[in-house]
Amino acid sequence: MSASTAIASRSGGARTWRGVAVLLLRRVLLGLSVLLAAVTLAFFALHVVPGDVVSAILGGPAANPTPEAVAAAIREYGLDRPLIVQYLIYLVGLLHGDLGRSFTQHLPVALILREQVGPTLLLTFWALILAWALALLSVLGTTRRRPWLSRLGATLETVAAAMPPFWLGILLLFSFSFAMPLFPPAGSDRLSTLVLPGLAMAIPLAGFLARVTREALELALEQPFILSARMRGLGDLSVRLRHALRHALLPGIALSAWALGALVGNAVVVEVIFSRKGIGRQLFLAVSTQDIPLAMGIVLVVSACYVLSNLAADVLSLWADPRLRSSRR
Amino acid sequence: MRRAALIAVAALLTATVLGGCRQKRAAADQASRSGAPRAGGTLVYATDREPLCLDPHVLGDMPQVFLARQYLDSLVSMDATGTIRPWLAESWQISADKLSYRFELRHDVRFTDGTPFDAAALKANLDHIVDPATQSSTAGGYIRQYAGTDIVGPFTAVVHLSSPYAAFLQVLAQGFLGMESPAALRRGRDANCQHPVGSGPFRVERWDHQSRVVLDRNPDYRWAPPIAAHQGPAWLDRVEWRFIPEASVRFGSLQAGEVDVIDGLPPEDETPAGHNPDLWVLIADRPGNPTNGTLNIRRPPFDDIRVREAFIRSCDIDAALASVFFKHYRHAGGPLSPSTPDYSPDFEHSKDFDPARAARLLDEAGWHRGPDGIRMRDGQRLVVHVPIRMSMSAADRSLWEQVQATTRDAGFDTRLEPGPDTAVIAREFRWDYDMRLGYWNTNTPDVLRIVFSSASNRSISGSGRPGPHQNTSGFADPAFDAVVQKALATDDPAERRALYHDAQARIAAAQLQVTTYPQTTRLAIRRDVHGVSIEPSLGVSSLYDAWINR
Amino acid sequence: MSASLPAVTAATTADVVPPATGFRRSAAFRRPGPGLLLATGFLVFLLLGCVAPSLVTAGGDPFRIAPHEAFRPPGWAHPFGTDQSGRDIFVRIVFGARESLLVGVGATGIAMMVAVTLGLLGGLGGHLAERAVRWLLQVMFSFPVLILALLLSAGLGHGIWPLVLATGLGSSAGYGRLVLSQVLAVRDAPYVEAARALGHSPARIVHRHVLPNAMRPLVVAVMLGVGQAIIWSASLSFLGLGAPPPAAEWGTMLSMGRDFVANAWWLTAFPGAFVVMTVLSTTAIGHALQRHLESRAA
Repeated sequence: MSASTAIASRSGGARTWRGVAVLLLRRVLLGLSVLLAAVTLAFFALHVVPGDVVSAILGGPAANPTPEAVAAAIREYGLDRPLIVQYLIYLVGLLHGDLGRSFTQHLPVALILREQVGPTLLLTFWALILAWALALLSVLGTTRRRPWLSRLGATLETVAAAMPPFWLGILLLFSFSFAMPLFPPAGSDRLSTLVLPGLAMAIPLAGFLARVTREALELALEQPFILSARMRGLGDLSVRLRHALRHALLPGIALSAWALGALVGNAVVVEVIFSRKGIGRQLFLAVSTQDIPLAMGIVLVVSACYVLSNLAADVLSLWADPRLRSSRR
Repeated sequence: MRRAALIAVAALLTATVLGGCRQKRAAADQASRSGAPRAGGTLVYATDREPLCLDPHVLGDMPQVFLARQYLDSLVSMDATGTIRPWLAESWQISADKLSYRFELRHDVRFTDGTPFDAAALKANLDHIVDPATQSSTAGGYIRQYAGTDIVGPFTAVVHLSSPYAAFLQVLAQGFLGMESPAALRRGRDANCQHPVGSGPFRVERWDHQSRVVLDRNPDYRWAPPIAAHQGPAWLDRVEWRFIPEASVRFGSLQAGEVDVIDGLPPEDETPAGHNPDLWVLIADRPGNPTNGTLNIRRPPFDDIRVREAFIRSCDIDAALASVFFKHYRHAGGPLSPSTPDYSPDFEHSKDFDPARAARLLDEAGWHRGPDGIRMRDGQRLVVHVPIRMSMSAADRSLWEQVQATTRDAGFDTRLEPGPDTAVIAREFRWDYDMRLGYWNTNTPDVLRIVFSSASNRSISGSGRPGPHQNTSGFADPAFDAVVQKALATDDPAERRALYHDAQARIAAAQLQVTTYPQTTRLAIRRDVHGVSIEPSLGVSSLYDAWINR
Repeated sequence: MSASLPAVTAATTADVVPPATGFRRSAAFRRPGPGLLLATGFLVFLLLGCVAPSLVTAGGDPFRIAPHEAFRPPGWAHPFGTDQSGRDIFVRIVFGARESLLVGVGATGIAMMVAVTLGLLGGLGGHLAERAVRWLLQVMFSFPVLILALLLSAGLGHGIWPLVLATGLGSSAGYGRLVLSQVLAVRDAPYVEAARALGHSPARIVHRHVLPNAMRPLVVAVMLGVGQAIIWSASLSFLGLGAPPPAAEWGTMLSMGRDFVANAWWLTAFPGAFVVMTVLSTTAIGHALQRHLESRAA
């Protein structure tokens, strides 16, 4: 249930800004507790899995540690303490803003995150914008038009939603980098490297966004207030944009929040295919080499993104909710 | 033994060796090379794996030494014939008991942080490599005989070994034992990993994680090794060392002109690269133990030599190399890659594909066909567990899939079990596998001792705890151990050659490995880039002589 | 690659768009179009592949290697060409249908089990339970599925079961939210009130009234979800977490073929096309089911 409906059900239509503030505060606290739970879960799951943490610290596959080095590492990282104590130590560090040091890269996790979060966020936001652009183009252009046009739009959206992003990525790479060298196949240092990965992520998402928006738009266009707007002599585009679309955006906004929150899962294959920097690829490496502090740091970022994007969606929904808008007057 | 004698030894040793540099389109390249080298420009080099640490003393993985070669110099160099030549050391003398090496160092060498290279620096480096805190596996493992260094004069040092080690100078030529600024080493392992300081032709400018390492020219470089094509500073202003793990994307980037040189040219792209007029290809074999599947003889079914031989003989490696590897890779049949000193070709065909013999051996060993074609004995199925890393390339994975198919025809239930790297490593530490996939690159036949002697059979991290073991077969034969130890102590090249021949024969007879192809360095280079070379000690690319004509 | 996209889509729609009642558009009465027929035909073909693959492939063997026939382009002998070991790609795709569909259906099944348990608990267990379940769903949403998949693969070993479990758990939060909102809506519906007033036992109420009515929109989400679960698990296979060799699972085939994309496009094109067609088919049938249910509700 999204925030707008929660508000509607709790306060029964009579909303005050103070009520909204209290609600948002509660959501922030809730978000923090979600964050804590995700970190806790990750901590224990990563430690329970079979594998040799010490050898991960001492170089993984290439490791050749002496008994003294093993003992030193166990002492240095406190691995001889009970798991619960290690967990508490981690939490205390977290409170002081200390995310620990990566086992494999021997760098502070915070530093790695600072380097890697940016490219992933950039890619995700860019893909989201692209997805919305594609979705709106299709929805506004074809919903409730001539039947064949409507059906074409809906079909394209369904096909887009059925595309595996990694397959799409390979196809795009093959077509626009190898066969026709229009875009660079790899890297993350220029804007042109964003085009293909962005499309690979955006097209399937656009399919889903378009589908929910189309459904909502169709419903909105049937509403009485649309009819009255039309009777007042407003043009078709104006009716669609000013009146119907605002109602139709709500499900898409909620979906976007979810898509932003799921960013790492969505970004990892694209980052792998296009050899991009980012926390998706980093997470994949961290977990497969049992780099627990780094994996924990990324879980923290991912959960925080989810919590934040949901908060943002709540705020956006409040903005888009006409009932709340009317209370501002 | 005098230095001159040693050179003669090395030259003799390598009569058959290290021819590896096959250069395609050599004639065309020669034509373009006739122009004088031009200084300037940035070369973009793309590779598959990113190192975890830029200091090659730490850990010891191949990607580290590829990068380190550009910014670290070694004490000695090794030329294409396998001869050890001077570099930072001008000359050396070896004591009669072969336990002390007296090095006379160059006087004019400075690290890029201004620290002079002297006897104290040499001592600091060797001490650093063997220090447990450095966590060296490769470099530390190679000089386990290191006992200490005496500083005799400012530029004279005597290195002491605990036992004779004929491979010592060869090992010193490897980039893994490159010389670093002692001042930089004192900053500690983690700082040094990010930003090592050497005396090489390039300097590490910055490391942009998961993207690239940027190197810039060392303008004061005046001490290139005798194996280099020129002296003085490098031609290139800068080198951008990019990480592009996806093989097809790496090659696509080269074709698109986004990068100038790629390594790890995938087999499937080798033919297109050869046909592309904008590219040239440079290939060299790496010495050592070839890419292989090592059989675990410590548990059934491979504790029975007949079953081992049957398995090895039911692997059709040639067919796999012809299909998945597009006939670009050679089959390595023996325990040593052809470019290793003292390699003998006698064992190339000792384990060829022979399903009829495999069937006979299995029948003899009491394994008979069950209802589904898998052989059984005493109600046990003939299962072979093979952990494989998730990160394995498609070509390699396909090769083992073909092995799986042909051994299944022989009656083995071969199970390829993919897992995350840590899970696979944990299984290897516990000896929980029947076949382990790997290789070992080094420029000496001493690799046989590292990989097969009973001393490396034990877990290195001490008793009790499961840990890494260099000998992954579990082979333990005192007679073999004696042979490789004796080879390390002898200074008679003919005797050493005979000893290593004996060692190869023993390993081949013990049926320990499915060997596939020699490890190779495969570069594809844009035609307007000249002078890229592969140095001989480990088959590592060198950009010192490289220049761009654009 | 979005484990719970369809469920989330359905859930967001259910939140904002009022549930279908009488006045929905006339499209509900459309006769099955050519798309639906195609979709059904394709799925029947796949199911046949699952049950009796040899029938469809005329006795082809998906594991028989023939290295001298590697990389044959599509032609008469091999309609989809051969792969790097000379295996027929069409035969492998047909045999792979079983594993790929199993992953899709299995994962969705697991997701539904978790979702229904949580949904009923939260919907009928009182205020506190509702809030606890809501919170738990948030946590599940915020946890990266990739970690789950890697951990399960390391913990349970190789094979497709970690894949099924990871995909299932990863998408359960979306369904969970959907079930919860449905149960809550049904709980307060007049006929449930009436049943309660008549003194029916809670178990009976859940069994007879709550479940059937809450499940209806779920049927559609599940149908759409199977397709997305196939995509998601193929993505995990693509990263190397898939079925062990020599399995002909589609995601693994794609992953293995991608290095050869410039030499032999058919190694990736055909398995990918089958993933897309499977997802499209289940989606088309899901939409048809939706229209059917809505017209019945009308």
